[in-house]
Amino acid sequence: MAFEEQTNTRTANADQPEKRLSRTDLMRMAVRSFFLQSSFNYERMQAGGWLYSLMPALKKIYRKREELSDAMKRHLDFFNTHPFLVTPILGIVAAMEESREKPDAIRGIKVGMMGPLGGVGDAVAWLTLLPITAGIGASIAMEGSLAGPIVFLLTFNAIHLMLRFGGIFYGYNTGVKALQKLKSGTQAISRAASIVGLTVVGGMIASYVKLSTPAKIPIGKESFEIQKELLDKVMPNLLPLTYTLLIFFLLKKGYSPLKLIGITVLIGVAGKYFGVL
Amino acid sequence: MFTEALLIALWAGIAGIDQFNGLTHLHRPIVTGMVVGLILGDFQTGLIAGATLELVWMGMVPLAGAQPPNVVIGGIMGTAFAILLDQDPKVAVSIAVPFAVAVQGAITLLFTVYSPVMHKMDRYAERSNDRAIDWLNLSGMGVLFIFNTIIAFLPIYYGVEAASSLVESLPSWLMEGLSVAGGMMPAIGFAMLLTVMLKKQYTAFLIAGFAIVTYSDISLLGLAILALAFALYDFYQRETPFAKEEKTSGI
Repeated sequence: MAFEEQTNTRTANADQPEKRLSRTDLMRMAVRSFFLQSSFNYERMQAGGWLYSLMPALKKIYRKREELSDAMKRHLDFFNTHPFLVTPILGIVAAMEESREKPDAIRGIKVGMMGPLGGVGDAVAWLTLLPITAGIGASIAMEGSLAGPIVFLLTFNAIHLMLRFGGIFYGYNTGVKALQKLKSGTQAISRAASIVGLTVVGGMIASYVKLSTPAKIPIGKESFEIQKELLDKVMPNLLPLTYTLLIFFLLKKGYSPLKLIGITVLIGVAGKYFGVL
Repeated sequence: MFTEALLIALWAGIAGIDQFNGLTHLHRPIVTGMVVGLILGDFQTGLIAGATLELVWMGMVPLAGAQPPNVVIGGIMGTAFAILLDQDPKVAVSIAVPFAVAVQGAITLLFTVYSPVMHKMDRYAERSNDRAIDWLNLSGMGVLFIFNTIIAFLPIYYGVEAASSLVESLPSWLMEGLSVAGGMMPAIGFAMLLTVMLKKQYTAFLIAGFAIVTYSDISLLGLAILALAFALYDFYQRETPFAKEEKTSGI
């Protein structure tokens, strides 16, 4: 049955092969990406803004109500990346949705890209572009000149807009080309995407989850620092890993994410109060 | 003073939106300082105080989602205090930083209490109601606007001393505890991803990714390239069976 359905959609697509996303659709996505973080929250971070930005593509690709609703639900998963570099991911994912790749493959690519682009974006935008443009602007403004803020805003945003609007077309075109070349079928793509995605999730757990303890055990005059002298020697990111796995098992047991967020806030505040976090 | 405080508050609201949406960076002290100076009738001091505070906040950027002391409130308060109290901007910043730290804690709370929005979105997605999702997503900007407006208005209208004594009366463990919780929060996001992505045959890659980053200095981009190598290896190891499948299924 499932196989038949798939061939049906394929022939339906073949009847209208030129129904591709237009330049306008991609532009609208880039404009919407300015609001990627409007509904930012700790449960799924930029997920709401991600769906909001992808919506023009989904609406064009999925004409049937159930199909659209399925796609929308899939794109409300946890998402977080650098806000300037979200557009290449939007472009590639739009290209994948357009050629009806498997949900697993799309999810894998999304997750596999969001971590690295988050890191690259931090390095490019926050640690390079901002200090340079703001540094130049501030040095002019120190002299009491209005040119300072203006120079800052113009130079910063020239590059900001280039990244955002260039990224969407770059991502989409790269995605379309890559998918045409990969003829070996969706199964291989989703397998490869899952491998990349999960490797990156493993790395993100190690680099983004911040948890360590300042607790010390006094031994005579000396004191034994648990983090430095025990945990870091056994496995530096032991606490972040343990906490993530704990949350994972609690989710599987049916705890709601909301409850886990509340628990996390309590642990953080109580931990600080008692001096163990 | 009411008009000036209101204008500064509205400006703080706009800058607060820009901090997370749009990101034109008009929320940086170098720009907000100038505007606050304009509102308080001392353009020159505002400009210079803004530039000074810009340098203070230079390294304080939201790396990997961690929130540094709030740059919007820090920049606006710092400049306003420098002008109103006739202080050197460097002194004004020391008055502004406690506010900026408290606001950072409050933002952690804001992002926490905004979580239920996702469940509303789930329900709208179920009905493929994209209009409702649009509005719900954009609504967050209203919350940010109101939040920043109120926080900027109070200390300027009611006086710096009253406001700073209030901030100082907040226990430090509460604010620092919230920021510890903020650092732990990504664990929930990754755990949720794992519940949909993790299958037994891929566990090895999750472990590999974690171990490589933990025991080396590799960046996430470097890790992604390595992951691509794993995927390519796996792909060509399996190429033959996949090719066969394709032929038999007749596509």
